Amino acid sequence: MSFFLIALTYFAYVFIVVMYAVKVVKIVRMPVHLRWELYPVIHEPKSDYGSSYYEDFEQWKKNRRKTLRKGIFFLLRENFCFSEYFKRNRGYWLVLFPWHIGFILIVIFHIVCFFGALVMVAGVSVSAESTFILGRTFYYLILLTGVISFVTGSIGSIGLLIKRLSDKDLRAFTTPQNYFNYLFTLVIFLSGLYAWYFVDPTFSEYRGFWKGLITLSPVPVDYAAAAHIILFALFLIYLPFTRSLHYITKFFAYLWIRWNDAPKDKKMVEELNGLLDQPVSWSAPHIPSGRTWAEIASEKTSDEEKP
Amino acid sequence: MKKSLKLTDIARGEDTQLTEINPDELIPLPPPYDKVEELPGFKRLTEEQRERLVCNLDGVVSYAALPKPGNKQEEKKYVEQFVSGLKKLLSKENNWTFLQPLLLSIDYCARCQTCNDACPIYLASDLNDLYRPTYRSEIFRLLVNKYVRPGGKLRAKLSGSDIELNWTTISRLYELSYRCNLCRRCAQSCPMGVDNALITRELRKLFSQELGWAPKELHEKGTVLQLEVGSPTGMRPNVAIDNLHFLDEEFTETTGIEVSTTWDKEGADILLIHSAGDIIAFPESPISFSILCNAAGISWTLSSEVGGYDGVNYGLFYDDIQLARVAIRHAQIAKKLGVKKIVMGECGHQHKAFMTVADRLLTGDLDIPRESVMTFLENLVFSGKIEFDPSKNDFPVTLHDPCNIVRNLGIVEPQRRILNYLCPQFREMTPHGVDNYCCGGGGGFSVMSDVNFTDWKVHVAGRMKFKQVIEAFDGQPGPEVKKYICAPCLNCKMQFRDLLDYYGAREKSGIICGGLAELIVNAMVDMKKPFIGWEER
Ligand code: SF4
Ligand code: SF4
Repeated sequence: MSFFLIALTYFAYVFIVVMYAVKVVKIVRMPVHLRWELYPVIHEPKSDYGSSYYEDFEQWKKNRRKTLRKGIFFLLRENFCFSEYFKRNRGYWLVLFPWHIGFILIVIFHIVCFFGALVMVAGVSVSAESTFILGRTFYYLILLTGVISFVTGSIGSIGLLIKRLSDKDLRAFTTPQNYFNYLFTLVIFLSGLYAWYFVDPTFSEYRGFWKGLITLSPVPVDYAAAAHIILFALFLIYLPFTRSLHYITKFFAYLWIRWNDAPKDKKMVEELNGLLDQPVSWSAPHIPSGRTWAEIASEKTSDEEKP
Repeated sequence: MKKSLKLTDIARGEDTQLTEINPDELIPLPPPYDKVEELPGFKRLTEEQRERLVCNLDGVVSYAALPKPGNKQEEKKYVEQFVSGLKKLLSKENNWTFLQPLLLSIDYCARCQTCNDACPIYLASDLNDLYRPTYRSEIFRLLVNKYVRPGGKLRAKLSGSDIELNWTTISRLYELSYRCNLCRRCAQSCPMGVDNALITRELRKLFSQELGWAPKELHEKGTVLQLEVGSPTGMRPNVAIDNLHFLDEEFTETTGIEVSTTWDKEGADILLIHSAGDIIAFPESPISFSILCNAAGISWTLSSEVGGYDGVNYGLFYDDIQLARVAIRHAQIAKKLGVKKIVMGECGHQHKAFMTVADRLLTGDLDIPRESVMTFLENLVFSGKIEFDPSKNDFPVTLHDPCNIVRNLGIVEPQRRILNYLCPQFREMTPHGVDNYCCGGGGGFSVMSDVNFTDWKVHVAGRMKFKQVIEAFDGQPGPEVKKYICAPCLNCKMQFRDLLDYYGAREKSGIICGGLAELIVNAMVDMKKPFIGWEER
């Protein structure tokens, strides 16, 4: 059993990383698209009222004052606080926020467990009574992130279930998979809560498991903790089959589309020329098929120059 | 009668309508426009029209020429064409132009319904399910997943909304893609960065680029006419020159100022590209530019090349190829004239299409600097070259923000600085700037008027805007106080004209609509008589 837990956990982490990476690479490798920005563009200096650099007379003669930092901060804040939901859909935010806080903290909980285990391997004891500040810090971090995650996650899962079932508009757009997701996450958070409350109030089992994971020396864990470990690993394997990547794709949607006000550069022009040279096969009568994008758009025959 | 709609309803019921527009079920308008019985009714389809036309959506027809399949084979052909179009939308070769934005919008919607509250059409309809931004997007998403992606049929079963692709679905989706202004207010409110307007545009693209279906005003009498004869108005180059020559003479006579338009001046600093519709429908607009450019001593020109005197680009609304053709034509004309820059006329979608969307299509020497009319006019007004007397504009003025200039291009303040300087009674609408409501003519609607589409435009699409306008002039409701909606975009002005006509707002509230340049000319010290004529509009 102990070995199975370790193997499953390793597999789950490798699986999710590979699957997410494949999906992200697919998006990243998509061709450059036409500009489609939408204001406010947050990195603009005057974004408070939605202004762009096009407000400057003969803007092409001026230096652009783009600050990427502002956009990244906005998105990080958005990913942790869901301020857009708070602003525009408060009722939904009330259940969405705890659900996501549950996720964020459960991820932090595992990261802290990992580093805590490393610290333990280095000979530092991690407990409330540890003589090392580091040991005590990890102890409380693991305890806090774990417990708060299980509680908020459970509240969020139940809240979303109720919200989606009780709101007629949301119900019409909720798929069976959505309901399954809320139930699945509820079971995960509740299993963690159960294991902590009834079996492992200091997370010593969990710390031991992680140490065993790193040193590849399996240690036996209680059935309740084992159930939570299995459920969480299955959840990681399941995640790539959901829309969970929106946590990352949101960055692309904002940075590469909504806020993408970049004029052309040399590299982009090269790529564009390649794309304009591809043949098009749309079938409507106004599009002569088989000719390239450039030929069709500039209404020239193939032996003439492209735009 | 409004009813709850399921996503799967789109495929059911064959020729029956999904919903019906009843003016008394829409959100109420402020007085004196609150009595539905005192307004002209909603034009209903006749029995003969119902028999002849495809009218299975909401009792409104925007494209009378939509073909009806005569038999099962023909229906099958349309279904196959639609699926083939879906595949092309998802392919790099055929749709590199919008592939990444489209896939991010298809795959990562959280179905939270936050965007609906931002949609002026959905709000105006008093929350009719059919007009939710998410309704058509989710159907499109389900069809992509079912018909293009591996394991689609199984996915469809598991999704709980297995939509059958049949003639009913396709024809309703076509009409439904023309119940959205492409204003992107919903996209702005989506926390996930999903863009329902983009999905709608891709749907229109599929119909246009694969099946050859598009509103005649946008395609056949729109971009095709523009590329062939010079303008969707049908004006050929010699007619455009003659018309403006006539207007120059007429305005010279009425204003006492020498008005002249420069044509085809090689090496001019500026190529100004108006919307040719202004020459016919709002002639004060192009004349204002002539007066201002001449008064400021600017080296400028218009072009009489085919397509060069009309800046509209309806391709933005429905077709990437047509969009590219028109934009490239404009750039080629500017290149030939050897001008230093191109200045957009007062036209929102011209701005969006030419300044940003087509930017990556204009490579090499076609990449000629392009300036917005807003910054151009701001520079001119504050250059000190022309003397102004703002008291000449001492009447209530409000500003309509064209979506394509403001939310889609981020040009918010220059026009406000001009109005704050030249119009003592300028007041904002609520909301405004990048949060504005579309006039209801966006997405090509302002020029579309087939069958009873105009009725839908004035009742539903333009309702939120009309309400805003009336509220902006709150406190001075009667016709004795003349009021001006400044709408620096031909399409918006045309939609306002339809709204003001339909509701009788000129007579009841004294409201007229015009552009920005006219207000500037009206405030010129050299202008001895008022330039804005309240009666003729
Ligand atoms: S488009 Fe955005 S706001 Fe609308 S339902 Fe999808 S995620 Fe929510
Ligand atoms: S683009 Fe505008 S009109 Fe269209 S769905 Fe979105 S908000 Fe509504």
